[in-house]
Amino acid sequence: MTTSNAPAKGGKALNIAIIVAAVLTVAGIALWAVQLTGGMVQTGMRNLDSWGLYITMFMFFVGLSAGGLIISSIPRAFGLEGIGGISKVAVWTSICATVVAIGFVVVDMGQPFRVWELFVYSNLSSPLMWDIIVLMTYLILSCVYLWATLRAEAGKVSQLALRVISVIALVCAVMVHTVTAWIFGLQASHELWHTALLGPWFVSSALVCGTALVIVVVIALRKVGYLELDQRHLVKLAKMLGAFCMVDLYFFGCDLLTAGFPGGTGAEVVEMLVFGPLAPFFWTEIVGTALAAAICFVPAARKNGMLVIASVLAIVAILCKRVQLLVGGFQIPNVDMPFAMTQYTVTNWQAGSMAAAYEGMVYWPTMLEVGVVVGIIALGALLLLVGIKKLPLKPAEK
Amino acid sequence: MARYGMTIDTKRCVGCNACTVACKINNNLPNGIMWTRVLTEGGDAPDTPAGVFPNGKMRYVTLSCQHCENPACTKVCPVGATYKDPETGVVRQDYDKCIGCRMCMAACPYTGVRSFNWEEPAYALEYAVGDADAPEHQKHVVEKCTFCYQRTSQGKTPACMDLCPARARNWGDLDDPSSKVSELIASRSYQQLLADEGTRPSVYYLV
Ligand code: SF4
Repeated sequence: MTTSNAPAKGGKALNIAIIVAAVLTVAGIALWAVQLTGGMVQTGMRNLDSWGLYITMFMFFVGLSAGGLIISSIPRAFGLEGIGGISKVAVWTSICATVVAIGFVVVDMGQPFRVWELFVYSNLSSPLMWDIIVLMTYLILSCVYLWATLRAEAGKVSQLALRVISVIALVCAVMVHTVTAWIFGLQASHELWHTALLGPWFVSSALVCGTALVIVVVIALRKVGYLELDQRHLVKLAKMLGAFCMVDLYFFGCDLLTAGFPGGTGAEVVEMLVFGPLAPFFWTEIVGTALAAAICFVPAARKNGMLVIASVLAIVAILCKRVQLLVGGFQIPNVDMPFAMTQYTVTNWQAGSMAAAYEGMVYWPTMLEVGVVVGIIALGALLLLVGIKKLPLKPAEK
Repeated sequence: MARYGMTIDTKRCVGCNACTVACKINNNLPNGIMWTRVLTEGGDAPDTPAGVFPNGKMRYVTLSCQHCENPACTKVCPVGATYKDPETGVVRQDYDKCIGCRMCMAACPYTGVRSFNWEEPAYALEYAVGDADAPEHQKHVVEKCTFCYQRTSQGKTPACMDLCPARARNWGDLDDPSSKVSELIASRSYQQLLADEGTRPSVYYLV
């Protein structure tokens, strides 16, 4: 019992990975400093497309953080058989993804040193404020949940208490995704965003990419001998992934039909997605999700390698969905009459006219943004790896 | 208690951009920033007529903050840096408070009326111009038209209205039935931009 709970010593590869992640993190912070001193004009964002890669990645990582927590808390909350003791690794993955998500909000802010104002001048009617509150709660709760799981294994916390915490964590996880959706969904000004379905849809997308991430992490950890896991548990996860993919596609279908059917301005939105500049993202998303589901549902295809492919496809598909949602929101301006443009108006302002500026994708990130993004993801990877090395996350022996 | 609003007579507007410049100078706007712009209805580029000769048609729509009665921006600002002034109904912006999250820009349906200082503000001239007490611009915060709060709070009228050679703009208290704006709204037919967004703008376009 105690020996199995001891931290993994980790091989040389793990140490190298930790160093690489640390270096990339430092590089990312340096680039962020460049962004702050030289100005955000160095990003691709402009007045008419005022959010970009950072907020896209924020949405994406909030989604990724779901999987681990939900997968480990559902069985416990409903008193079902757990998934082979992977819940500690899964929750740790969630915690790391949440930290990354918060990091993306911070680098997107023009005045990060005023972040304290959020807690002093909180405007409680702002969905962004709600999200900050639930995100913080979620992070703290995930840590408490992980700690309680460890204490319960040592017999210090009762199973009932653990079950109560897991129910609260589950509710909170669903709230995090819904509230993140509301940052966009409550804004009537962008037709693509303004749909009641956005909340549930964010939850389903979060389940897709979160489960996929857990599958990838678990297969990798099993491969390197960090944990043992019965194949039937993996099959269970794969079936869940397939089901989540189907729900996500179903929601997408419902939303497209509702937007497009009346044929008004909603049809323009649908056209922009299906045939317009964002079509590559749209189709990658649809095809990727469908393929992932197919692999998960066909028993003969559920080999380990194939499952990793399915998971990666699902993750890429959801990333495409995030890009499409964010950029798509800005792709159709409400007031599209021509006017004089400056270097701050819109990313492609050199194109000369509004119509030309919107011909391709209205926003595309610069190398600086990509660099900062890599840095923040590296920070998450660093946390994940250090956790695997130092924390007792291995499954307890039965 | 007042509710300041503006009427813009599209029949009088000649699209000269004097308001754009007046605004720029009086508020000492940084390079590349415009709080009010002149949009061309029809046509593919600014100042091009729509249609085919001899049936060409050209109409201008000046666009700046609409100082909505039900603003989308103030609701979503997490720190209350943009807020509705209770005395005047003007949507104001506190540069010292703004954290630069750009939530308000995403929420505002009037494309491009809010602008962000994407870098340290730079100016064409070495010295500040316009109203001496116009708030100083800051890097990485959002700003926009304030109905020239520094002027109107001293009993003056907004700069764009003052300089308009066509006298297309009028400004005043919408709650006072004897004000010029109220009279114009009562006697003329008007349009409001994106009325179906439910923002209830305080800017009226007389048609
Ligand atoms: S950018 Fe500034 S004014 Fe706009 S919502 Fe954020 S904090 Fe408020």
